[in-house]
Amino acid sequence: MKFNADRKWLERRAEQEDRHLISVGGLISSLDPNCEAEMNTVPKIESTKTAFVRLLQLARRERRLTLERLAEKADVDLAELLKIETDEAFTPSLRTVHQLAAFLDLPAKKLMVLAGLLRVKDPNLQQASVRFAARSEPIGSVSPEEHAALEEYVKFLNER
Amino acid sequence: MREAVHILDCQTGQLAEAEIFDEIGLEHFIETQATWRPLVLEAARGLAANPQQAMLIPRHFHWDWTRKEAELKLLAVKFFGISCAGQLQGIMKIDTVARSCRLPEQQGKPLVYIDYVETAPWNIKLLMEPIGKPQRYRGVGSRLFEAAVLQSEEEGFKGRLGLHSLPGSESFYIKECGMTPVGRDPHKQNLLWCEFTPEQARRYMAGE
Repeated sequence: MKFNADRKWLERRAEQEDRHLISVGGLISSLDPNCEAEMNTVPKIESTKTAFVRLLQLARRERRLTLERLAEKADVDLAELLKIETDEAFTPSLRTVHQLAAFLDLPAKKLMVLAGLLRVKDPNLQQASVRFAARSEPIGSVSPEEHAALEEYVKFLNER
Repeated sequence: MREAVHILDCQTGQLAEAEIFDEIGLEHFIETQATWRPLVLEAARGLAANPQQAMLIPRHFHWDWTRKEAELKLLAVKFFGISCAGQLQGIMKIDTVARSCRLPEQQGKPLVYIDYVETAPWNIKLLMEPIGKPQRYRGVGSRLFEAAVLQSEEEGFKGRLGLHSLPGSESFYIKECGMTPVGRDPHKQNLLWCEFTPEQARRYMAGE
């Protein structure tokens, strides 16, 4: 490979580069002006976090997928998925949440809020999350009541 | 492959000896996580606190290089790193088979697809200025982009390149690099697909 040795060329390119961001690559989320990016320091909002975990569990069980199969299909790390389902204090990575949202056909930004990656002041979301978390169980087959709760909650997330 | 190149040292204004290499290993990914990430987060918090600057937050902040480890073994995938003063200053991932040309005049022809480019946060002026930190090196991203063009030539693709530009970077690739915006890709988060023809690549390399 023969790189350009001309200093003027480099200076011109550097000047252009300094005026922009040169990111190339997949997504992630665009940051909504109404959302406050909290990165790794988000205080946990328990009701939404519980709802996030239950939502994943229920959606997975309804599709009759093992954790391993879900990790494979959503292209996420199995260990991280396991941690999400077993440790509510764990904050998943944005990429994982985005992948899960894409696979489960859920709005990515809402899922990020539920996962504790973004914070929004939304009492309706809090209430709906509490209601949903209270109506679902983490294990066993999906009962008709749970199915109804899941449908209602997914509809709520998709509508708003 | 290991090539000596120059980048610009912001402190001295002089050329700095750097090295571009393609022997990327897990340790490089770990380095980006360990040394880049804290500063990236600091910059993001600083920018997010100011609504006008929040728009500047690049969308690659959460892309995790450690997840790319599995791709190290893929033949069509190649990683380039650029180091200076013993530190990794930028990293790029390209793919030589995943995509082909979409511009009508070169439709279907092979190209080098730039899947990812990131420079160390301390080299990004737009990130460092708002948080009052000095930018260290300039021209890192341009060197990586140059490496992609050279790789395209080595592959026999005559400099043909393609990439999905993130919204905040479109003007860089179109206006500064001279790529052609082909259109939004609904299969890739609606990002803008940009392409280099051999002539555009030649002009970029010649500095025209």
